Amino acid sequence: MKKIKLIDIASARSGDKNNICNIGVMAKTKEDYSILKEKLSAERVKAHFGNLIKGKVIRYEWDALESLNFVCHEALDGGASRSLRIDTLGKNFSSHLLRMELEV
Amino acid sequence: MDKKTVRIAGTQGFYGDSPMGAIMVAMQGAADYLMHDALAELTLSILQKDKLKDPSLGYARDIEFHAAKLYPVCLGKGIKVVTDSGGLNPHSAAKKVKAILAKQGIEEVNIAAIDGDDMMDKLEQLKADGLPLLNLDSGEAYTDSVYEPTHANVYIGAQCIKDALEQGADIILAGRVADPCLALGILAYEFGWDLAGKTQEELDRMANGIMIGHILECGGQASGGNAYSEWLGRDYKFSHLGYPIAHVESDGSATITKLENQGGKVSRNTIREQLVYEIHNPNAYITPDVTVDFTNITVEETGENKVRVGGARGKQRPEQLKLCIGQMEGYMSEQLFYFSWPYAYDKAKAFVEAAKETWAALPFQYDELRVNYLGINGIHEDVAQPINKERIDEMNEVGVRIAFRHKKPHVGKLLIQSVVCLGLNGPPGMNASMNWGKAASMRLGLFPTLIPREYISPQITIY
Repeated sequence: MKKIKLIDIASARSGDKNNICNIGVMAKTKEDYSILKEKLSAERVKAHFGNLIKGKVIRYEWDALESLNFVCHEALDGGASRSLRIDTLGKNFSSHLLRMELEV
Repeated sequence: MDKKTVRIAGTQGFYGDSPMGAIMVAMQGAADYLMHDALAELTLSILQKDKLKDPSLGYARDIEFHAAKLYPVCLGKGIKVVTDSGGLNPHSAAKKVKAILAKQGIEEVNIAAIDGDDMMDKLEQLKADGLPLLNLDSGEAYTDSVYEPTHANVYIGAQCIKDALEQGADIILAGRVADPCLALGILAYEFGWDLAGKTQEELDRMANGIMIGHILECGGQASGGNAYSEWLGRDYKFSHLGYPIAHVESDGSATITKLENQGGKVSRNTIREQLVYEIHNPNAYITPDVTVDFTNITVEETGENKVRVGGARGKQRPEQLKLCIGQMEGYMSEQLFYFSWPYAYDKAKAFVEAAKETWAALPFQYDELRVNYLGINGIHEDVAQPINKERIDEMNEVGVRIAFRHKKPHVGKLLIQSVVCLGLNGPPGMNASMNWGKAASMRLGLFPTLIPREYISPQITIY
């Protein structure tokens, strides 16, 4: 087993819908997608964001794009127009997730 | 098979986007339609503020510049413009555009205003009719809300766009048409698609139309902007970014491209990045016209800056439409300032400690305070990667951001002004660049809910 960072095998883009943030995680290769499917669970994502995500995290598999989509509820401090955060739109949820370490 | 191709360029991704991408596409005659999305979830609340100050406003004001510099080029080349920039006041928007064009001697133009999405005056009726109006996120009932509404708009579908084009519109200024439905309406008009969605074939091509709209709706985000996947080894410029252009065929499949002589890039990666953006369940992307299953789409690079997309599947449209109600929930205020080495972080924390003691003694209070140390935990707050003390002590500078939530508009400014004295009385060397104590921002809440379709009848007026 070795440790890698998610950014080594994937890119990500995140955005807002009211208080929900979704993070699309796109594998670089088909092999990387298999690793994502096996290692990157909704529970791990929720734990990685601690206090930032107050609700549930749902994972969707999107094989055609070799991507996982994480829909994070109660994640944006009430939503962009209510939030006291700097990242009101959750654009940097992607970057925080890309820093996650995985054992492969 | 019909070999006709319709070219739609997504040349505006938000209210305030650069007009240059659109102007370049128009000048080069590289599209048949420009699709401009000016309405994010919040934009209608901003437009409502404009409209309260001046009843002739309430539309996305970049159409004024577009009418002066972009639309004349489009009209000269037979390019049509389809946008939701009409916002809360499509009629006023249309009259304004008409007047700006007339000043340039352009009289022969049909401008369509589309409204019927604005439910602000009907909220009481919706309540009186006993609709549940449950919040889609939290489940709470709208009737329990204590806040004043700022706007209430229903996401409407593509039929009104198709109809306006059939009535000869050159420029369409709509209200809250769902973003991707702008593209679907254009395609339905051009290819004669029936939007009733009675057969699987009809549903599938509508689903492809929505996919095209979704790819185009954020402008440069589909053609190299905001893309981690292209960051390493980036081989294109961010400046003068070429916006995405879809060459769509009669079954709704398309090739996405961009102008070769502009910045940006269209690759499988840039298209993937936009496809996942603001999508929840890829098996059920809900729009007013069709529910889309994106799970079996094809996204193939077929050449430099050319990506083929297709294969979306359609399912029945939802029974009800989404109504988004804006609510006035108070105010927010923010201040930034900075400290340099030595002791930058310690000085920042000492400032904040003294500020909190000052605020605690004041006769007015805030509802919530947020403190971020820029460079340390500004963006990711509690879960930011910890930085060891040795590195923190060596930091050249640390920024501080304080943000308040408060009920009365002036309180934030007073709180911030009450600690400006710490510039002289506090830790050494505080910098606050050019301002101290900006005016507060409104804190607007969004209340998303559902209402039956029967309440909505979009209206088209040609000016």
